[in-house]
Amino acid sequence: MAKITVIDLKRIKETQTGRMSDKKLMLCGGTGCLAGGSLKIKEALEHELDERGLSADTKVVHTGCNGFCAHGPLMVTHPDGVFYERLKLIDIPNLVEEHFVKGQPMEKYMYRDPNTHNYAHGIGDITFFNLQVLGALRNRGVIDPEKIDEYIGMDGYMGAAKALLDMSPREIIKTVTDSGLRGRGGAGFPTGLKWELCSYVAGSVKYILCNGDEGDPGAFMDRSIMEADPHVVLEGMIIAAKAIGAHEGYIYVRAEYPLAVKRLRKAIEQAREYGLLGEDILGSGFSLDVDLYLGAGAYVCGEETALMRSIEGKRGSPIPRPPFPAQKGLWEKPTVLNNVETFANIPQIILNGADWFKSNGTEKSTGTKVFALTGAAQNTGLIEIPFGTTLRTIIYDIGGGLKKGRSFKALQLGGPSGGCIPEELLDTPVTYEDIVKTGAIVGSGGMVTLDDTNCMVNLARFFLEFTAHESCGKCTPCRVGTKVMLNILTDVTEGNGKEGDIELLEDLAMDIKTASLCGLGQTAPNPVLTTIKYFRSEYEAHIRDKWCIAGVCKELVTFYIDEKTCTGCTACARACSRSAIIGERKEPHSIMQEKCVKCRACFNACRFGSVKVGPADMFGKSGKESENENESDIKSKESEEVAG
Amino acid sequence: MEKNILVVDDDEIVVKSCEAVLSAEGWQISGVTNARDAMELIKRNTYDLVITDLIMPTIDGFELIKWTNDNFPHTRIVVMTGYSSKAVLRDAIALDIVDFMQKPFFPNTLVDTITKALNTPPKVPVPSKQPDVFDMEKLNAIVKKYKKKPGSLITILQEAQELIGYLPPSIQKAIAKGLKVPVSEVHAVVSFYSFFTMKPMGKYNVRVCQGTACYVKRANEILEKLKETLGIEEGEITRDSLFSLETVRCIGACGLAPVVVIDNDTHGEVNPVKAHELLENYK
Repeated sequence: MAKITVIDLKRIKETQTGRMSDKKLMLCGGTGCLAGGSLKIKEALEHELDERGLSADTKVVHTGCNGFCAHGPLMVTHPDGVFYERLKLIDIPNLVEEHFVKGQPMEKYMYRDPNTHNYAHGIGDITFFNLQVLGALRNRGVIDPEKIDEYIGMDGYMGAAKALLDMSPREIIKTVTDSGLRGRGGAGFPTGLKWELCSYVAGSVKYILCNGDEGDPGAFMDRSIMEADPHVVLEGMIIAAKAIGAHEGYIYVRAEYPLAVKRLRKAIEQAREYGLLGEDILGSGFSLDVDLYLGAGAYVCGEETALMRSIEGKRGSPIPRPPFPAQKGLWEKPTVLNNVETFANIPQIILNGADWFKSNGTEKSTGTKVFALTGAAQNTGLIEIPFGTTLRTIIYDIGGGLKKGRSFKALQLGGPSGGCIPEELLDTPVTYEDIVKTGAIVGSGGMVTLDDTNCMVNLARFFLEFTAHESCGKCTPCRVGTKVMLNILTDVTEGNGKEGDIELLEDLAMDIKTASLCGLGQTAPNPVLTTIKYFRSEYEAHIRDKWCIAGVCKELVTFYIDEKTCTGCTACARACSRSAIIGERKEPHSIMQEKCVKCRACFNACRFGSVKVGPADMFGKSGKESENENESDIKSKESEEVAG
Repeated sequence: MEKNILVVDDDEIVVKSCEAVLSAEGWQISGVTNARDAMELIKRNTYDLVITDLIMPTIDGFELIKWTNDNFPHTRIVVMTGYSSKAVLRDAIALDIVDFMQKPFFPNTLVDTITKALNTPPKVPVPSKQPDVFDMEKLNAIVKKYKKKPGSLITILQEAQELIGYLPPSIQKAIAKGLKVPVSEVHAVVSFYSFFTMKPMGKYNVRVCQGTACYVKRANEILEKLKETLGIEEGEITRDSLFSLETVRCIGACGLAPVVVIDNDTHGEVNPVKAHELLENYK
C-alpha cells in the first residue's frame, strides 16, 4: 500500500469502527498465556469453529498481554464480552459447542471470586479489572497487535497526525509539560522538561530513543505494552521526535523478550509501508525512521548514558553528567531517551489534551501508572491505576488479598533500587513523593507482595546479589561495596552474623549511595536500608538468636511439630523425601532432627499449621556442633600458622 | 598421532613405574591413584587408553570400567591386577576390556601389551575435537555486512553467536580482525554482556528465572533440583551435550512465577518435582 494521508487514516478508522460488532474471540497471546498453551488453543478453536461452519463470522484473534497472567490462558468473546480463564485444550470442543452453538456460556471456565464464590460473566464483574483505569494499556486485549488497521481503529496515529500537521514543537512540549507526565522508567523526571531541554540545543542531527531494556526483576509492564500495542510506542516516538527535531530513532529492547521483538519488528514494517515512518510522514514534510536495537543482557544498560554506549557497540558503562544526553548523548549528539510506558502515554495526551490526563492522579503525580503485581497476592498480573490509589487498595481489592492462612509481611516496590514497605504504611497513596518518603521508590513499577514465609534478610541479600552481579565495575564503591555488603548479608543468613554487622551495613550503604556515579550504585543499598529500617528485629534474630523466623535460611532453622495441634493426618510424613517424620496415624508426629534436610516439604504440606519454625539451636545440637566447628577452625588455623 | 594414556592404581610406585616406562615410548601418560580423580580426568580429556587396577579403595576398578564404558565408550581399557583369582579375571574380561596383565610384570610385557591394545580399533570412533570447524565464510559475511555501520559490534556478536552457538576466542579474534579493532575491544564487550557465552550450549538450554517474583516463590529450590538431576552446575553442560543450565534475571513472566525456560518454551508455576518431569519431555 502506498503512503497514506490523514483522510486515509480516518477512512481506516471508520471501517474498523464498523466492524466493532464482528464476532471475535480475543485470546491472550502474551508471554504468560503462550506458556500456558494458547497457541495450541487458538488452533483448536479455529478447527472446532470450522467444523461447525462458524469460522466465517467468528474470528480468533491473538491479542497482547491481558494482564491477568496468573489465570491464563485467557479469552474474551466479542461482542458479548464473556471472560474465560484457565482454558484447557481438552475442553475446547465442548466450549465451542456450548457457547457458540447452543449459546450457553460455560461457567466452568469463568472467573470465580475467591471470597464471594460468584462467577464473573464479564470482565466488569472482576475486581481485579474494575478498579483499574487504563491509559497506557488501553488497547490491551482489544486489538490484534500485529494489525496496524486495528490500532488505527482505536484512534491510532491520530495523535501523531495532530502533532505533525496542526502543532508546533513548542505546542507539543507545552501540552506534555502541562500534563505533568513524569518518566515512567524509574526516576520520574518530567518528560516535558526533558524534551524542552533538548529542543533548545542546536544541531541538525538528534536522536530519539526508547528504553525497552526492562531490567528490574519483577517488572514486565514494558514487555506487555510492546507485545500488546507496539504501534503506540512508535506513535509516541514520532510525536517526541517532532518536538525535539529528531529524524532518527532507536528502540532498545531486551533480547530476552523475543515476542516483543517480533511484534515491534512487524509494527515498524507496517508503519513504514503506510508511510507513518520514513520521509514526509502524512504529508507533513517531517521525516523519522526508527530501528530496533537488541540489548545483550546487562541491567546497567537501563541507565541512559550506559544504554547509549551500548547502542554505540561498547561496554555499557555510564558516564558522568553533565553534559546531559539532551546536549551530548548518542554519538555525542543531542538525544532524548524515554521509557516504553512514557511513550505509550503520549498519543492520548496530544489527542485529548493535558487537562484530560490530569483528571487522573494527584497534583504532582498525574495520570495513571502500570504496576506488575506479583508474589503472594491472590490475583497477580499487570494493573494500571491512577496515582493516589493506596497500597492497601492495590493489594486487598485488586490483588484480592493473600492466600488463606498466610499473613502480609511487606510490599517490595521498585525492584533492586526500591525498598520494602511494611503493613503499617499500607495506607500510603501511590505517588512519586509519598513512596519516596517510605524509603522505597515507584521505580518502573514492580510490586512484589511478601508474606510470612519470606525472609527479609534473605530478600535483601537477593537484591544485593543482583546489583553486585550487575554493577558495571566502573565505580569502586559500587563494585567493591556491594560485594562487601553481600558477603556480610551472606554471613548473616548462614548463621555467621556478628554484633555490629547491621551498623556496618548501614555505614557501607551510605558510602555507596554517595560515591557512585549512576542510579544503579546510588540506589543499590535501598533494599538493605529499608529492610533494616522496618524489620531490624529480623536481622537481630538472625545474628543473636540464630533464628530465621520465616524458615528460609536453612542454617538458622529447626522444623518441629507442635504436638498440641498435630492431628496425625500423615500429610507431612508423606511429603518428606528423607523419611525423617515418624508417628502413628491420628497420633502427633515428630521430626527426627538428624535426618532433616530442612527442605520445607512438611511445612508446605501441613494444613493445620502444626509444623513450626524454631531457632537453629532449639534442641541444643546445632549449637554444640557449631562450637565444635569453631574449635576445629581455630585448631586448623593454628596448625596452618605452624606450617607457615 | 601422540596417544594419551591414563594409569590408575592405588599403589603410587606402580603408577610412577608405568609412567616412566610408557613415556619412554613416546606416549603421553597421566597417572592417578584413585578412581575418582581418574573420572575427573576422563571427563575433561580424551584418552586413547586407560590402564587400571581392579582392587582400589572407595571406587574400585570394576566400577571405573563400567562408568568409562557407559560414558566414554571410545576409550580402550587394559586391566592390571595382582589378584589372580580366575573368577575375578573372568568378571573383568566380561566387562568389555581390551586386555589384562597380571602384576608383577616386566617393562617389556607392559610395552607389548599396550602397543597391541592401541592397535585394536576403539569400539566407537574417538570423538573428534570440534574447534576450528566453524563456518568462517558465513562469519565473515556477517562481519562484512555490518563493517561500515558504526557501533555494530554487539549486533555482529549476536549474529555470530546465533550462527555458531557460542563465542570462543578464535571467533572473537576473527571478528576483531574483520573489523580492524583490537581483540581486547571485542572481548571487553563479550565478557560484559550476559547474553554472550564463551562456552558451548547444550542442545536444550535450560534457564531458571531468578527474578524477584520467582525468587520469593523459591526458584532457587528448583535450580538446586535441576543441578542435582542434571549433575551439573550453573553455566555447565551435560556430558551428552543435551542440556546446559543457566540462570536468567527475569524474563518478565512474573505472573507465572516460578518460571523455567527451556530453549524458547516458557514453563510456568514450576516446582522441583515438575522441573524434573519437564526435563524428561526433552530427552
